[in-house]
Amino acid sequence: MTTTIDRRVIVRAIVVFLLAATAITLVSVIMSDSAQATDAAAQVVAADTSGDEIATTDATGTGQIRWLQQLVNGLAFGTLLALASVGLSLIYGTTGLSNFAHGEQVSFGAILCYFLVTPQDITIPFVPTSFNIGLPLVVGAIIAIAVSAGTGWLQDKFLWAPLRRRGVAMVQQMIVSIGLSLALLNFIQWWIGGGRVRLTIAIDESIDLGVFSIGRQTLISLVIALACLGGVSWFLLRTRLGRATRAVSDNPALASASGIQVSKIIRLVWVLAAGLAGLGGVLLALYDNGTAFDAGARLLMLMFAAVTLGGLGQAFGALVGSLVIGVVAEMSTLWLPADLKVATALVILILVLLVRPQGILGRAERVG
Amino acid sequence: MDFADLLVNAGRELFAPATAAFALAAIGLNFHFGLTGLLNMGHAGFMLLGMYGYAITVREGGGMLLGILVAILLAMAFGLLLGWPTLKLKGDYLAIVTIAAAEFVRFLGRSSVMKNITGGSTGIRGTDFKEPFESLSPFPSEQITIGPWTLHGTASTSWWLVVVSWGLVALFAWLFWMLAKSPWGRVLKGIREDEDAVRSLGKNVYAYKMQALVIGGVIGALGGILWSFGNAVQPDSMGRPTTFWIWTLLLLGGAATVFGPILGSALFWMALVVVKGLSAMFIPETLMNATQREPFALMLVGVTLMLLVIFRPQGILGNRRELAING
Amino acid sequence: MADKKKATPTSADPFALVPHEAGAPKMDKIIVADNIQRRFGGLTAVDVEHFEVQRNAITALIGPNGAGKSTFFNLLTGFDRPQTGEWSFNGFSLHSKSPAQVARSGMVRTFQLTKALSRMTVIENMRLGAANQVGENLARAFFPALWKKQEQEITEKAEELLVRFKLDKKRDDYAGELSGGQRKLLEMARALMSDPEIVMLDEPMAGVNPALTESLLDHIIELKNQGVTVLFVEHDMHMVRRISDWVVVMAEGKIIAEGPPGTVMANPAVQDAYLGAHHDTDLFEER
Repeated sequence: MTTTIDRRVIVRAIVVFLLAATAITLVSVIMSDSAQATDAAAQVVAADTSGDEIATTDATGTGQIRWLQQLVNGLAFGTLLALASVGLSLIYGTTGLSNFAHGEQVSFGAILCYFLVTPQDITIPFVPTSFNIGLPLVVGAIIAIAVSAGTGWLQDKFLWAPLRRRGVAMVQQMIVSIGLSLALLNFIQWWIGGGRVRLTIAIDESIDLGVFSIGRQTLISLVIALACLGGVSWFLLRTRLGRATRAVSDNPALASASGIQVSKIIRLVWVLAAGLAGLGGVLLALYDNGTAFDAGARLLMLMFAAVTLGGLGQAFGALVGSLVIGVVAEMSTLWLPADLKVATALVILILVLLVRPQGILGRAERVG
Repeated sequence: MDFADLLVNAGRELFAPATAAFALAAIGLNFHFGLTGLLNMGHAGFMLLGMYGYAITVREGGGMLLGILVAILLAMAFGLLLGWPTLKLKGDYLAIVTIAAAEFVRFLGRSSVMKNITGGSTGIRGTDFKEPFESLSPFPSEQITIGPWTLHGTASTSWWLVVVSWGLVALFAWLFWMLAKSPWGRVLKGIREDEDAVRSLGKNVYAYKMQALVIGGVIGALGGILWSFGNAVQPDSMGRPTTFWIWTLLLLGGAATVFGPILGSALFWMALVVVKGLSAMFIPETLMNATQREPFALMLVGVTLMLLVIFRPQGILGNRRELAING
Repeated sequence: MADKKKATPTSADPFALVPHEAGAPKMDKIIVADNIQRRFGGLTAVDVEHFEVQRNAITALIGPNGAGKSTFFNLLTGFDRPQTGEWSFNGFSLHSKSPAQVARSGMVRTFQLTKALSRMTVIENMRLGAANQVGENLARAFFPALWKKQEQEITEKAEELLVRFKLDKKRDDYAGELSGGQRKLLEMARALMSDPEIVMLDEPMAGVNPALTESLLDHIIELKNQGVTVLFVEHDMHMVRRISDWVVVMAEGKIIAEGPPGTVMANPAVQDAYLGAHHDTDLFEER
């Protein structure tokens, strides 16, 4: 029962990740070569050959290497996905709950941000007047994230903590989270409607870096996301509270016996997870040029894939898992239609479970 | 709309084929969760596979029996494939893998690559596969009114479909009852309570879980076929929410009980109609317009699911004494 | 199962000639284990060179917290896999056998944290324990005619056992409604439904109300009288002295001493293990 992260485990994870990334890259290079029959040395893709619907945000200009572009997109998407899945993983680690409502936390952050910043008229359920708030994007985003974090606190205070105190079985708690997800999803649809909404009408400028391009908004989002993920890592590895969190994740009974207030740690994890999900929602809405009531629900499968890949409950596993899933999803569009992006990620998830059920970072479980 | 209409509409849901289709699917899930404690979160995937298997076979001229056989085989293969890696692991893994696999089936079905086979996101039209079933109808091909309800005799949501659907539900409810009280069912219940204990008594837990998963999945696939007879094959109608609804109605009626899935399904569909009807009658248009009623009603479904699991996990028909034992 | 009787020495103490040392050979061995090693990461939880269990005797497996007793138990019963080692039951190798196969071969275990099947009635718990049930096959489950008779026999046997364990009044209660001690009894009775040759009891006294301990002890002695071998893990030395014929002591994953209950505690190695230098370091919590 060590509380420090096993160094070999991290090394193993990096090796697996690099191998996966290399393999995918190689495959994609081979695929694109054979498909387009271009000079292997140049590897220049002039235009889409198959005419499939690519729904990526960044337009592929000439002179760019398509697989590199997709790799960059994948890493960017993976980083943003990680914001959401790290929280999911922390919740699983500390409480054992597979929180199916985590997708709605992501949608909630994005939709609340939209609600606060849009110049269009908006309504609240059961309030007959329409109005608009129209805050600046940054202010709206910060409020949305803070409120998201607050919902984490409220949820734990009034729902999950009482359930834990009553000793409600984990399976039941999981089904409660499914109910919550269903309720929140439909509440958000009731509130904001079924259409797609945009946080900002500004068109994302594309920065051309020669071999690939990246949107300015995406770049800023990435910087924010990386800063936050760095902050979370620092918190988990370097602070007393973070170490306590990992101790709870490792063995709640032992942590409790050694004087850690488990319920407070769990409360903190909920706040952190909901806040990160809210942030992830806002940033993904910027990255995707829009959001909808089911944005988070669509992501939920990818988050679970990432968390499972990384090993259930391992916060850093979720990070690595998210990157792998992001890269796989984006790179798959090189030879598969874009509408199979998510499907590809799910296949990878199932395959990994076959080979290494405890995930990339997980340890084999002890029986008996 | 007035109360009388609402009552008639709500009453229609009690015997509607959709109610029967969901009840049948829920009986399948009852084998999984009610008896064995398996967390199948991808039941809609089994239903969708069943629908595809039947509709595509029939459209290609394979006939009804072959269609049903294909649907059953697909569901069996799907169950085996999902169970193989996950049934040895903790329950959460099965939940995640089944939900992922069900979504995968849906994504693949609606993908443009499969357009020629599955019809992509528009699915398969009813006219392509309903004919053989409807041609078996002994009822006249016209609108028939029984009491306050009028349905067509043979086409789509018809009296013929009502009879067949509920016949199937009755058959499988009986099957569930038979198996649940057999020694085989006893082993499954033991697994639900504690796998390791059952292992220590010399039972091959893995094989039993696999049998339960496959049987429940096949019943789910048949439920999917019934559903498609009243509607069409539409991949997006079999997404995650469908799975969650089935869970809700199973828990509402009472998991592990024979009539729980049936009662749950009837109440579920009736409640949706009643909530939408009442909100249309009593909430003015300025506060809630027509498009908002559906999400409002479904939000209540979610809340119901939460409250049920927290306060009455054994459902309406479940044993009161079981409540005291938090398993 | 047929040679059970033959192997039982009638009057003489089967341990009379057994040396009081770790890994001592027994006269009539039912379990033999060699070189069993189980490592968790860098930690070696179990490292047993040689281990034998005498047939039709009550053997206690004791040791301080974290000695690896429960892990060793899990290894023997197939609930955990060792990295190395070979072990057999009645000469039948149990290597890479599943827990169910181990149980079917005649070695049935109970658990430290009682695994009564809560939302099943006491009688259903008992019926589940019976081996070779026709109706447990899916195809045959459809035809009650095939299994009704056997079901009746099983029920009769279960009812007899319930009477013996004084649980007959609880027949139709849910197992979850029983007290902790009653659950232990139920678990033990359920294990007997399959007529095992050896019963492995993991801390049978843990969490049992003192009033029930005596009756539990009597039941264990009664098992031996009926020709069943018992191997149990226990903390409570009083109980070990009361009922066991032979005591095996484990510490830090190894077997450090063996002997009759009266003398084994006098062994300096044992005293060291219990009170020695390591008594304040909790190696790892046993589950």
